[in-house]
Amino acid sequence: MKLSTTIGLVADFVAERFPVTKMNFASMVAKKEVPVHKMSWAYYLGGLTLFFFIVQVVTGLMLLFYYEPTVSDAHASVEYITEYVSGGALVRNVHAWSSSAMILCVIAHLMTTFAMKAFEKPRELVWVSGVILLFLAFGFGFTGYLLPWNQIAVNATKVGLQSIEEVGNYLPGALSELPRILRETIQGEASVGQATLSRFYAIHVVVLPLMVMGLLGAHLFSVQLHGMSKGVDRESRKKEKFFPTFMVKDLTVWGVVFLVLFVVALCLPFESFFAYPLAEPYNPLGSTPEGIKPEWYFFFVYYPLELLPFWLIFLVMNVGAVVLLLVPWIFRGTSRKTLRTIAIAAAVYMVVITVFGQSIYEMLKGQ
Amino acid sequence: MTMRLRSCLSRFLLVVPVLAGCVATADAYSEFQKFVQTRSGRAINCAMCHANSDGPDGAGFGQIGGLSPEEIGRLNQARAAFEPGQAVDSPILNKFGNHIVATIGKTRLLEFRNRPEELAAALGTTSDLDGDGIPDWREYLDGTHPLKKTDGNPWLLFVNNLSRYRFHVIMIVFATVLTIYGLANLLRGSSEVHDATQEPK
Amino acid sequence: MIDSLLFVALPYVAVALCVVASVFRYRSDRYSYSAMSSQFLEHRGLQWGSAPWHVGIILILAGHIAIFLFPRLSASLLSVRPVLLVIEGAGIAFSVLCVAGLLVLITRRLTSARVQAVTSTMDLIVLAVLLVQVVLGIAVAVHYRWGAAWGASTLAPYLRSLVRLQPDSSFVTDMPMLVKVHIVGAWVFIALIPFSRLVHIFSIPLSYLARAPQLVIWSNLRRAERALAMKVAHSRRLFVRGAAATVSGGVLLGAGVLDKLARFFHGPALSDSQQAEVMESRLERIKSTVEQRELELERLKSDFIRIGTLEELDSKKGRYFTDYEMRPALAFRGDDGMPLLISAKCTHLGCTVASDVSDDGKILCPCHISWFDVRTGAPDPGSPARAPLPHLDWVLMNSEGAIVARRMPDGGTAKEEADLAGTSVYIAKRRGEVA
Repeated sequence: MKLSTTIGLVADFVAERFPVTKMNFASMVAKKEVPVHKMSWAYYLGGLTLFFFIVQVVTGLMLLFYYEPTVSDAHASVEYITEYVSGGALVRNVHAWSSSAMILCVIAHLMTTFAMKAFEKPRELVWVSGVILLFLAFGFGFTGYLLPWNQIAVNATKVGLQSIEEVGNYLPGALSELPRILRETIQGEASVGQATLSRFYAIHVVVLPLMVMGLLGAHLFSVQLHGMSKGVDRESRKKEKFFPTFMVKDLTVWGVVFLVLFVVALCLPFESFFAYPLAEPYNPLGSTPEGIKPEWYFFFVYYPLELLPFWLIFLVMNVGAVVLLLVPWIFRGTSRKTLRTIAIAAAVYMVVITVFGQSIYEMLKGQ
Repeated sequence: MTMRLRSCLSRFLLVVPVLAGCVATADAYSEFQKFVQTRSGRAINCAMCHANSDGPDGAGFGQIGGLSPEEIGRLNQARAAFEPGQAVDSPILNKFGNHIVATIGKTRLLEFRNRPEELAAALGTTSDLDGDGIPDWREYLDGTHPLKKTDGNPWLLFVNNLSRYRFHVIMIVFATVLTIYGLANLLRGSSEVHDATQEPK
Repeated sequence: MIDSLLFVALPYVAVALCVVASVFRYRSDRYSYSAMSSQFLEHRGLQWGSAPWHVGIILILAGHIAIFLFPRLSASLLSVRPVLLVIEGAGIAFSVLCVAGLLVLITRRLTSARVQAVTSTMDLIVLAVLLVQVVLGIAVAVHYRWGAAWGASTLAPYLRSLVRLQPDSSFVTDMPMLVKVHIVGAWVFIALIPFSRLVHIFSIPLSYLARAPQLVIWSNLRRAERALAMKVAHSRRLFVRGAAATVSGGVLLGAGVLDKLARFFHGPALSDSQQAEVMESRLERIKSTVEQRELELERLKSDFIRIGTLEELDSKKGRYFTDYEMRPALAFRGDDGMPLLISAKCTHLGCTVASDVSDDGKILCPCHISWFDVRTGAPDPGSPARAPLPHLDWVLMNSEGAIVARRMPDGGTAKEEADLAGTSVYIAKRRGEVA
């Protein structure tokens, strides 16, 4: 009796989120409408993320033709791509720029979706899958960072993984060994080496893409199923057709973004933003060069880690992740105005810590 | 006869301090590094001018301890290049390091240790070893690598590459605009067909 | 003689004829300024003939005119090989499109009874001239590559000389026959304009691009059917426009990218010296990996590992070595003349500590700026690192392999001989680990 009720509830829940009656071309494409209001621009962010993801898949596959995931050859093969392979430098640069752009779009997409309360029933699962996709995107960033096997890559990865072990200091008794074991499991050996590279390579190239494809499929499918959320409190009177009006606009945005990406990748090497010693091959016996930092999209957790006690950041991050996943239920009754304020505050924090993190750090450390 | 004697002597004189005084020569040219680091605010290392990023001391690649007799010969030749204009191919230096010695000579280079900012002017305005459009003197002052095409002041790199690839950029703009315009029309067309066929007769 | 007739006299005559006759025709019979559409007589063939023909010829003429108007700009553009290939490729593709369209139009004129009824001899002449002209153009493009490039420097000056009224036929007299015929054909074509349906060129329908389609429909259709027909026609127009733009965009993109893409997958063609360079740098990396592996093996197998002689150690500049756990460590010479071995793996987040000792006897971890005292290993109070860097045990052995001094686990030193000259520093496996 009880079991059957539970099953029934679950079935109802799923049926409501994936209504079979709507699964047809007419309601998913032909009749779909996009509201027009002052937040309409946010409807393009998800599509942009998809665009960058496609670019990542294509350029990533191309890089796979030349990349060799061994400690002795990884850096040499990357160098070979940039220096000798026709168009290799462009492909690699597009991959690098597009990864950053993708993460930027994911974050902006998350914030605007939150501000527009697009997670309301029946879109809870869209939100949850989106948050998991965000984590996967960070996973892509973290694992991909190691692959060129240069100084900044290996050292930053070491630092990142070592912070897992920090947790052990706050755990009692036998549990305190757990983080170390976890770190070694991720690393594959006592310190970052060939085993780590192999694992990260497998995760970056096979595991994460598979997970993303599955989840992304569900995410996009349910977006089409439920249509665009209204986004503002009062149902906007003006609407445009998704097909073809919105798609044409979306396509135009993709075109412009493609051009910008192409020009930037062609003319501005991603590596020129950090000092050249960091791009040298990793030397396990030499000293760590100055300026080891994670990618900019980890600054929001990196600088607080530098400045504040570890346990505090650890706690905040974990609570943050859980809250993020449970947003559709926690903020069910919150007004859009409040949500917008929260989103703006979060955006301000992200921008300030990403742009001025280094200056704040230096100011507080008195250097 | 005297020639051979002299070269033997000089080799002896050079090898001895090398073996005995690794530490003594370790920071011999660090004035340049320190100057560039303070001026540019970028972390740099010995790889700007040397073959090995940890500098010439040690037994690794491009370090004095690991040189073959032939390479020691080239090293000595480079060390004796006091006047500018001599062909220099020191195994412990990279192309830029050799270029400096060849351009200004060892004597002036040693003088510049006290005035490292003047090295830039002495390098001349035209030389650009990596061909990225930023002259070597500028890369030296900016703390970017004069032999790496992908390293340089980002803004300058962008501007130089943009003018270098302007045709590609124009082409890609045309191609993209055309394709997007075409696809948009195809989308509109198929939507109209869909509408037309859906309408009640 | 014949050259100046064909390339100086003919052009002026043709243009004059074209202008005068066109004006005359416009003034006397304005309503004949039309393409004289036969769409309502036959539309299927027209659709497949007219559209490709017009799309192709307009683009090709635009290309010709652009090169004549901006010879220097186009010469510099066309000096880039991919651009040249794209332009030439597109030119040929559109010419073929023209020919296909023309053939359809000619067949239509010759086979459809309805159309034949309104076909004049002039129409057939015009079609023939156009066909010959386009085929000649293709022949020139194929036989004398790359016309877009040399045309800018030979034919453009010729036209310019005509416009400036200082005709100079020397630019074309040495041209191959094919090119000459193509040029003559062009002047003939211009002369024909006012006497045929070609006059519709002068009523360039620019507004066509924006306005609703013009349809010739039998007026006895019902309103709904008419609306449907309008819609279908409009969508067809969108399709044609879309396909043309997508294809030309794709061609442009493909021509610019395909060769690079092909070369990307083919792999670089390196010279021997480049290959040697690549090999050398790879070998260097492999060697350092081998060294690393050898270190590991040594640490697994031996109880003592040599770091260097005691004399080699310095109090200001550390010597890196790798400890039994494959972690970096630094060897200094202490104030007492004894070795001072300290871990170089920062206790904060595991970066490698730098080897230079500051004036107050400290070494720096550059990652997060932690200073460690070399003698005690303790970090500065404000440093991110909390735990001290541990010191490592060492032994001194003489050349016979006998231990003459060692560091005790409590940090003290045990000396067994006074004379330490010529001894070497070793690290020892911890007691429990010694097999």
